[in-house]
Amino acid sequence: MMSTATSEHTSDHAHADDHDNGEVHAHVSSPLFMIAIFAALIVLTVITVAVSYVDLGAANTLVAMIIATTKAALVATFFMHLKGDKAIHTIILLGALLFLGIFLGLSNDDLSTRTRVDIDNGARVLERTGAAAPGGLPVFTPPAAPAGAAPAAGAAGHH
Amino acid sequence: MSSATTTDASHAAPAGEHGHGHQYPFLAHHFDTPVHQFDSAKLGMWIFIATEILMFGGLFVAYGIFRGQEPEMFRMAHERLDRIMGAVNTVVLLFSSLTAALAVRQSQVGDRKGTTRWLVITLICAVIFLVVKFFEYQHKFHDGLLPGHYFQAHLQQFAHHGHVLPQRAHMFFALYFMMTGLHGVHVLIGMGVLSWVLKQNLDGKISKQFFTPVEIGALYWHLVDLVWIYLFPLLYLVG
Repeated sequence: MMSTATSEHTSDHAHADDHDNGEVHAHVSSPLFMIAIFAALIVLTVITVAVSYVDLGAANTLVAMIIATTKAALVATFFMHLKGDKAIHTIILLGALLFLGIFLGLSNDDLSTRTRVDIDNGARVLERTGAAAPGGLPVFTPPAAPAGAAPAAGAAGHH
Repeated sequence: MSSATTTDASHAAPAGEHGHGHQYPFLAHHFDTPVHQFDSAKLGMWIFIATEILMFGGLFVAYGIFRGQEPEMFRMAHERLDRIMGAVNTVVLLFSSLTAALAVRQSQVGDRKGTTRWLVITLICAVIFLVVKFFEYQHKFHDGLLPGHYFQAHLQQFAHHGHVLPQRAHMFFALYFMMTGLHGVHVLIGMGVLSWVLKQNLDGKISKQFFTPVEIGALYWHLVDLVWIYLFPLLYLVG
């Protein structure tokens, strides 16, 4: 154990944690509270699995992402101690997410408005004409694909 | 901005004994006070977490673009994943995040044995996670559900209940293996970090005044959990 001889320190150390002796004073959470957070995370996991069995169309993904973000927020806020912590840590986290959003948004905007993928052969084709789109990598074909067997959903009866 | 007495104590140190002239043996000489050292470590860790989010971000963006363009292929391909195993691993990782947080908590109150106990439980959870992942991967290999060039599940001999996947499903499994693989590497690194923290604790280097290694190691472990919180619905629970 460290020495506790700090009483002689004068208090000209202005720190946000309003402790004046320069030592680290943690905000200690109660174990029961942390277990409650864990229980909430488990409940949210059960909900997200249950919802995945219900067909909500495009809303399924939206609901799953909202639940995942709620879980992530609980972990970051309480397990990673962002609550009661310096604001800069939250700003860094949100900054990373902001730039991830820009990356995702602009990349998707670009690629989804130029060409679409032909599900049968994976080629990028022009939206209007269906002709092979210029540029890009050559279409990859896995070896020994039986011609015409691949496309339809669950097309079983070949051979 | 250090207190005058701390500075005086530092100056009183014999030449050559860097950083050991005051009453804190854990305090590096380039920090004024323990709280200065602690805040610097945490700031650095959060910046590192931001870079980690952006590294995984590349894969998440690739996922978003391919799923947006081939939603039906993603729906068909994801049905080959075992969502029970995925859910079990989710619970295991969430629990390990709790135990990592409890390890930090016990180190904050100076309970060395408690810190050791929760760190060991966290490491056991990490092992369980990887064992489940091993069996999942093994099953995928067996079914020809491999990324890119090695994908074979579009062939009749790999039909599953009489169904074959479209050959484009090699993209889904490329993303599956890259995302869970990079995450798995993080689990391994996290285990290394937490083992080192455990050793520091057993060596008596962790105290109520200096629990920085536990705090920072746990932050890394929570990041591993955060990434999985998104991987689970995106890969296992597609519409």
